Amino acid sequence: MSRRRTYLRHSVLIGICAAMLLPFYWVLKTAVTNENIYAYPPRLLPENPHLFNFVDVWYFIPFPRYLMNSLIVSALVVAGNIAFNAMAGYALTKSFPAKRAVLLLFLSCMLIPFQATIIPAYLITSQLGLLNSYLGLALPLLSTIVCIFVFKAAFEAVPQSLIDAARIDGLSEWRIILRVLLPLSKAAIATNVVLAFIWSWNAFLWPLIITREPTMQTLPLGLARFLSYLEDTTGALYAFAVMVLAPSIFVFLMAQKEFIRGLASGATKG
Amino acid sequence: MAGADKAIAAGAMPLTGWWQRKRTRDLMLVVCFLLPSLTIFFLYRVLPLAWNGLLSLQYWSPLKPARWAGLDHYEEMLLYDDVFWQALTNTLIFIAVSPLAIALALGIALLVNGNLKGAAIYRSIVFLSYPLMTVAVGVIWRWMYDERGGIINFALRESGLIGKPIPFLQSFEWALPSVIAAEIWQVLGFYMIIILTGLQSIPPHLYEAASIDGAPRWAQFGRITLPLLRPSLFLCAVVGILNSFTSFDLVYIMTNGGPGHATELLITYIYKSGFGQTKFDYAAALTVVQFMLLLALTYLANLLAGGNAGALQRR
Repeated sequence: MSRRRTYLRHSVLIGICAAMLLPFYWVLKTAVTNENIYAYPPRLLPENPHLFNFVDVWYFIPFPRYLMNSLIVSALVVAGNIAFNAMAGYALTKSFPAKRAVLLLFLSCMLIPFQATIIPAYLITSQLGLLNSYLGLALPLLSTIVCIFVFKAAFEAVPQSLIDAARIDGLSEWRIILRVLLPLSKAAIATNVVLAFIWSWNAFLWPLIITREPTMQTLPLGLARFLSYLEDTTGALYAFAVMVLAPSIFVFLMAQKEFIRGLASGATKG
Repeated sequence: MAGADKAIAAGAMPLTGWWQRKRTRDLMLVVCFLLPSLTIFFLYRVLPLAWNGLLSLQYWSPLKPARWAGLDHYEEMLLYDDVFWQALTNTLIFIAVSPLAIALALGIALLVNGNLKGAAIYRSIVFLSYPLMTVAVGVIWRWMYDERGGIINFALRESGLIGKPIPFLQSFEWALPSVIAAEIWQVLGFYMIIILTGLQSIPPHLYEAASIDGAPRWAQFGRITLPLLRPSLFLCAVVGILNSFTSFDLVYIMTNGGPGHATELLITYIYKSGFGQTKFDYAAALTVVQFMLLLALTYLANLLAGGNAGALQRR
């Protein structure tokens, strides 16, 4: 009985997983397909799989340029998040006047989705003269409230006696942060790196609004542009999609634990 | 800095002045450390929200000076704008479907919870679609739904369920359900992870005690599992509500609100009014309506969760 139950459980789960993986298979199959992809009936297995589509994407659209833009923006966002969130998280472990007000401000900012601010955010960025710039692309994502709290919790978990000991040994505040607190908060740093990378890598609406020149566009915009301009019969579009998805799948598989820890502490998309 | 601290630690300075200076210095440090984050949140959360409210009450475009409009935009929206009502309805449908997705995720979470061999693999596979770029997900699903090359039409035709292919994303009745299905595919893993975290925080001795008292499995589920999952389910519900905002990418890529306005969401309509037709003021009024909707629904979900959403902050 119990054994049959286990089998049933496995078969239901295998069915669900097959349904979840089917879209991946279909796009991968199309990306390596040689012949006309609109032929009916579509073949379930690719015949003579080849990688020409990937080469096409690399050379015939400015893929390297999009990639470079995406990497620069992601690097800015990740660096900004680590620095600013760790600083703010550390400040919140101290007691200071108006701390309650600052906490309240942070918590209520969490209720404002970025998408609800796009019009003034665009106008503000244009006032700052940052349209079509890497800094403009990265700026709204440079600090994240959830990750501030992740850092705060990590710092609070460090035993006070350790910090006192470091202080007695004559370490300055900065040294204590860099030499004691941060090395003991590696999990928080990893969570923040993963979340910040995924958010900035996937961001679409904000770059769509503030970049007008193709030379400043990131990968998602490049993909959307390719979709609207080059509806052709080859699998190049799907090769593009695969190339864009690969880094985030890789990061996710490498750092699943950190990513999930971040989500469980309340981080959502964007 | 380091030298001064050493001196302090050695007690070389008079006590009163030292205390005074350390306090101000600590305060300076806190202010400097909070400043970057606060600046960003001020610039991209607080100020936009206020400006957005103001903008919605004005006639304004980039080249003209602002004039007071009162509630004109809201009047136009509520009384004369059919697209607004269509977008609002679609947004509400989007949100109303999320409990179904959450229930499905709860089922999967219960299946992979506990000591099942390979549970970690199942979990990773179900979760895999969540962190992916939504634009690429939209491209994939457009292709899945394609009339000729898509596997969905192929499977339906081969199994004899339909004679002619269905142009899912071009048809008025199928477009919205198709987009919603793709959206659920992407977010399902997120719900599952949140529910799993909740399940694992339920102390096992509660189930043991219930078994000893002879409570059947379904009663244990209804009396122990569900009540203790409330904070997790609340978080899922909030994300379901937020997804009506964040699904912009998916809708933009899959249908761009079409055919007609069959898949128009408020957020895509806001984008089109603001950046397509440069009616920033009208788009601001639409944003106010959607933000109010979001707050009201979140409040409602909080009430349904027993009003203790603060429990989420326990971490």
